[in-house]
Amino acid sequence: MTDNSVVVSTPPHVKSRRTTRSVMLDVIIALLPCAIAGIVFFGWRAFVIEAVAVLACVATEFVYFFILNKGFAKKCKDAGAVCKRWLKQFDFTSIVTGLILALILPSTVAWYEVLIGSMFAIAIVKMLFGGTGKNLVNPASAARVFMAISFAISTYVAANIPALRFESGIFTDATNLAWLFPSEGNPTTKISVLDLFLGTGVAGCIGETCKVTILIGYIYLSVRNVIKWWQPLMFIAIFGFAAVFFSGFGFIATGGYIFDMELFLPHIFSGGVLFGAVFMFPDYVTSPKGVYGQIFYYAVAAILVAALRYLTKLEVTSFVIILMNLFVPLIDKYFIRRPYGYVKAKKPKAEKITPESAAENLIEPVDANASAAPDKEGK
Amino acid sequence: MKAVKGKYYFGGIHPRDGKSIAKSAAIEVMPAPAVAAVSTYQSMGKPASPVVEAGKAVKLGEVIAKADGAVSSDVFAPVSGTVTEIKDIVSASGKTEKYIFIESDGKDEKSFLPPLTSPEADEIKERIKAAGIVGLGGAGFPTAVKVSPAAKVDTLIINGAECEPYLTCDYRLMLEKADEIARGARYLAKALGVERILIGIEKNKRDCIERFEAYEDIQPVVLGRKYPMGGEKQLIYVTTGRKIGLGKLPADVGVIVQNVATCFAVCEAVELGKPLYERVLTVSGKAVKEPKNLLVRVGTSVKDIVEYCGGEAVKIVPNKSAEEGAAQTVEAAIKPLKIVQGGPMTGTALASYDVYTHKTTSGILLLSEKEAAADEPTPCLNCGKCADVCPMHLMPMNTAFYSAANDFNAAAKYGNTAYCIECGACEYICPAKRPLIQAIRKTKAYLKNKDKEVK
Repeated sequence: MTDNSVVVSTPPHVKSRRTTRSVMLDVIIALLPCAIAGIVFFGWRAFVIEAVAVLACVATEFVYFFILNKGFAKKCKDAGAVCKRWLKQFDFTSIVTGLILALILPSTVAWYEVLIGSMFAIAIVKMLFGGTGKNLVNPASAARVFMAISFAISTYVAANIPALRFESGIFTDATNLAWLFPSEGNPTTKISVLDLFLGTGVAGCIGETCKVTILIGYIYLSVRNVIKWWQPLMFIAIFGFAAVFFSGFGFIATGGYIFDMELFLPHIFSGGVLFGAVFMFPDYVTSPKGVYGQIFYYAVAAILVAALRYLTKLEVTSFVIILMNLFVPLIDKYFIRRPYGYVKAKKPKAEKITPESAAENLIEPVDANASAAPDKEGK
Repeated sequence: MKAVKGKYYFGGIHPRDGKSIAKSAAIEVMPAPAVAAVSTYQSMGKPASPVVEAGKAVKLGEVIAKADGAVSSDVFAPVSGTVTEIKDIVSASGKTEKYIFIESDGKDEKSFLPPLTSPEADEIKERIKAAGIVGLGGAGFPTAVKVSPAAKVDTLIINGAECEPYLTCDYRLMLEKADEIARGARYLAKALGVERILIGIEKNKRDCIERFEAYEDIQPVVLGRKYPMGGEKQLIYVTTGRKIGLGKLPADVGVIVQNVATCFAVCEAVELGKPLYERVLTVSGKAVKEPKNLLVRVGTSVKDIVEYCGGEAVKIVPNKSAEEGAAQTVEAAIKPLKIVQGGPMTGTALASYDVYTHKTTSGILLLSEKEAAADEPTPCLNCGKCADVCPMHLMPMNTAFYSAANDFNAAAKYGNTAYCIECGACEYICPAKRPLIQAIRKTKAYLKNKDKEVK
């Protein structure tokens, strides 16, 4: 009655239908409204950038898979089988990277810059570190920073769009941040919050301009349980307050510090903060694993973005993402989750849970019979 | 009295429950097998030592192996007949177990203990030990040890959660034998000297909850549908709001948990003097022809059980043969991809049908290819879903990461592996299909060996 068709493995024997691919597909679906809005606002240039970025990322991954594995000559012989194997392990992550990279670029970049940036993102940032799940920093933001400092930095700082309705000279920044920080040489002409929200007639990067589409993506990702709904909200809230706090210093020259809550919405709706909060900060690979670590990560990142924005008057979200990504291993090391039923040690020293104290608690042998047995009692 | 309920916010999953497959099948008594093979390893702790030899005639319910030490239980003959041989067999879990083979004479001559009427606490304890009752939820911890707790106990919780998917044996038992369960619970409460009896039932078993609302002294607690709601620590927290510290036992917070099937066995042992030689188990899954809830003797082979349930299921496929006048459709067998002993989340996968049931076998599942996913694992994404669903608030991904590098100390340190209850929620949810439970068991085995070396 039996043959080798029966699989023997450790439990559980039923598993959820969610796979890496389906998660990544959800991210792609959530990014599509932003991509379409970008094409609507910026025309065919945006489409070309998106297409080049996605294709370049996927192609780079394929080439890397083909070349940098054992037996290149053998692989050339049966390329078909290699392609099949590649397709089998292809998990859409490079499509997501390409799409995100395209959406955080201004529409004025040249196509070859996008090509080089995409290759950098996949080959150097992702594959060289071991591929999916092993990269240290977010490939898309790393590529954007790489492009900004390698090519004409002015493109990234002063992207303008054809539909610019304002007098030139005021909104020259890629993401029109200057007006948020009043100073003497800077006329504080305000853009309406509604314009910022809809992305009509403001400068910005392809996918970051229309905030409505980002919100749609956020809702979709939250409903599909891809990201935790509270993470972007927490990031945005802390960022908003911190930004209002910092921009208050700008008023000192004109008559004292003002904590102007009117600037709250313009701050969070300008630039790439919203896009970063929804699509880039919660990136699985490069964010902390534990809940406490995540709270710490988002809080520090939000304050950093606000502070650096105030100091540099530039779009810094990508820089901060890379910076915070590099701290993730440290955060993971020091924010250890307490197991259920953890009782605070009486010693005042052990109040904060450090790896050492966690280890002490752990190594204590648990009576295998006594504690493990009744646990399984229920079903 | 209203129970103080704790909220079960963090952790837990909602697996596809698959209970509808066998839910409506009333408990059926399966005929005694022609040959029963009873393992002497029927509970946690030490295996029992055989007291019969080949050739000896035994009666139904006679002791064939005596408990060895405190944490062990007696084993009884599930059929009357002759002992044919005693031999070692490697069981499904990989352990070598001693099996006693008994050839049935079909008479089922009984040799029960004398029934007790209005027993005292000590008598009940004595009877639970003599009847070889173990926790029938799955772990098989001897009940006799559990009813003599070291600490003072004030609450008895009956575990009717049955949060494991597919299994419906406890559900059927609660529906059909509510009276016996209630009486068994009262005996247990008397033995423990507790007044308060709670029964935790998941809210998807509405009819069972109604059944238990009829008893004045037993208070049903409606549990949310979540896996692992029936895990001991989780159940105690949800029903009483008490949290068990790490490495502590339920008795330390004044609670004892017993499964409904255990209560039923206690009732039968006290009132009929019947030792534990049979139990209700669920035969389910899409690859079995007639899913059933069966009352099965311990030591029945899985092969017999599957055959009794009509064998493997068939599906109707279009006939491919081009013969003239051939039927449009033909039947094709649905081959099970996995044969599982126990529940799908914690049970053991069997390599063949040549396995014999134990006291703790709560189900035989034949999972079809559609149900039992056996995808290739893909690289870990660090999504942290395993940590989110962990009912013990551990970090399974860390255990997997470090144990893959053979750094088991770090695996235990950063994953807190020692406290894992192996419920399988992490591996269920993992989008990358990582073998997390395997990594956890490996790490636990390492820790166990290390402890031994220190001693």
